Amino acid sequence: MTEAISRQALLELVDAWLGQGKRVFAPVQVKPGLDLYEWIQKSSQVHLDSSVRPANSIKEAVFPRHEKLYDYRYAGKQIELIGAAPPETPQIVLGSRPCDAAALEILDPVFNWDEADGFYNHWRRLTTVVSLACQGHDDHCFCTSVGLGPDSPRGADAMLVDLGDDRYEVRTFSPKGIAILAGRTESTEEAATVAPGPPKRFEVESIRRCLPEAFEKFPWPAMSLRCLGCGACAYACPTCHCFDIVDEGDARGGCRARNWDTCQFAVFTQHASGHNPRSQQGQRQRQRIFHKFRMYPDRFGEVLCTGCGNCTRVCPAALGVRPILERIENSTESQTVGRVSNPS
Amino acid sequence: MQTELRQTCRRLLEEGTVRVVIGYGQTTAAGAVHPVFVTRPEDTDLLVWNDRCVANLVKYLLRKEVRALGKPAIVVKGCDARALVVLEKESQIDRSQIVAIGMACAGQNQPKCEACDVAAPRFTDVVIGQANSPERQRDSADGTHRSRDAALESLRAKTPAERMAFWKDELSRCVKCYACRQVCPLCYCERCIVDKNQPAVIDTSATLKGNFAWHITRAFHLAGRCVGCDRCTAVCPAGIDLRLLNLSLAEAAEKHFGYRPGMDLDAEPIVGAYSIQDREDFIR
Repeated sequence: MTEAISRQALLELVDAWLGQGKRVFAPVQVKPGLDLYEWIQKSSQVHLDSSVRPANSIKEAVFPRHEKLYDYRYAGKQIELIGAAPPETPQIVLGSRPCDAAALEILDPVFNWDEADGFYNHWRRLTTVVSLACQGHDDHCFCTSVGLGPDSPRGADAMLVDLGDDRYEVRTFSPKGIAILAGRTESTEEAATVAPGPPKRFEVESIRRCLPEAFEKFPWPAMSLRCLGCGACAYACPTCHCFDIVDEGDARGGCRARNWDTCQFAVFTQHASGHNPRSQQGQRQRQRIFHKFRMYPDRFGEVLCTGCGNCTRVCPAALGVRPILERIENSTESQTVGRVSNPS
Repeated sequence: MQTELRQTCRRLLEEGTVRVVIGYGQTTAAGAVHPVFVTRPEDTDLLVWNDRCVANLVKYLLRKEVRALGKPAIVVKGCDARALVVLEKESQIDRSQIVAIGMACAGQNQPKCEACDVAAPRFTDVVIGQANSPERQRDSADGTHRSRDAALESLRAKTPAERMAFWKDELSRCVKCYACRQVCPLCYCERCIVDKNQPAVIDTSATLKGNFAWHITRAFHLAGRCVGCDRCTAVCPAGIDLRLLNLSLAEAAEKHFGYRPGMDLDAEPIVGAYSIQDREDFIR
């Protein structure tokens, strides 16, 4: 016996959530061929049928691109700080791909490592994730290479699996997931089938092992020539989590906020002196690969990547991590590190 | 054309005329066309020419990592070649130290291709293939200016309030990844205004305020300079229709100054040229 929900019942539930003042973050078709997770106003915006995953990630729900930390006001020579506690608004991420949901569990340790991050944990506590199992993949997907799959439950409180005929099998994994769907599902004898995931593209452990040698030997400069140094990969990535702290205001006061930032920007490591320890794009690409596939595993026990493929999908030059990782693995095997002059 | 392209590039590398060819390649498992940098004659078979060679590669001439490779040859379409003209006018490239290989283009299924009048490359050192540049539509006889672009014309037909709503909706999606800036052949400031923080002029926050400030500033900086390659729009991960902003200003530049950037080697850039005959009093 499994539980199921019709599409209509699901959309009614979404409207009920919105009516209760909850926020709902779900895939929306922005333009033909482009889906993005967005905060929705009504259930008719939800787009669950896309064959491609959204071009952004659900990290925005727990780690927004811009988050106000507090306001400040000048009072003579004194500075008054006005705390801006984020609202206690419950939020539901609906239709998250499994590669997005998993990112939350991967990010938890870094946001609770030396110090528990108040804002991240606040939104994490208020968030319920209802995933949608993938019924297809494209050439950029590689979730199976990092230990995930099309119906991986990781990071999700519940999951929808397409049963056809506008119905979904409902799987629940946590008290939150059970609670949010309680009374809305019906029992059925049917069980959904999940399409196979993408073929395994590389071995993360072999990548991790060969990275120290590749630090010097791999042709990072050649491989990164086509990288233009934008932040599309990092901002579309479910697990990239670097941020910058800025003050924005005028002579009377303003707010202190944290904004997304990325190691791919030249100014990311620029010192006040003008010196830049990562002055070349190849060094910046190397940093991103090392952070994800060596440093993070060494510190937190797993790679900082869910195989969603967004980095390549959004890259103006079709780069992203996968072409680099495959090249590292291949060049190590065939002992040709540093030989080829042309980046692939 | 692809064979001829490969042969031409092979010869340029063998003769030592250039040290690197900046072109289009297709080398990954996923089969996407992407920029390649060919430094050895035997690797010229990596080069491709097909209807997915959409990117304007001219930006790479300005990347210091690419410049370090030595004298380049670059594969350009007629539309891309306009950026070469502007960059030379603005003293950003030494045209004599670049071999431009022009590809006659049958269109790349982009919105800009519909009103294309530069299919046959001009201002390149080599032209491969043959194409006819269609005659450009004239403005209507009564002098009223109508855009050649249907999307821009329908945006203009809206009320100011509707247009504002449109741009709020578009720009609210911006995450400030700066792909638009990084891909633009004419965004080459050594330090972009948005990266200046003493004082900070533009909010770096990806809020509606910060996003409007960024995109309006960028559009104005490109007015009379943008060659309409539309790469900013094509690479935007949020699908923002930036081309409408740029095109609108490009048409204003053409209407008021009779100037289209990158179309005439002798025309002086409207921003950056001074004339005693200027219509405006304040400048004389």
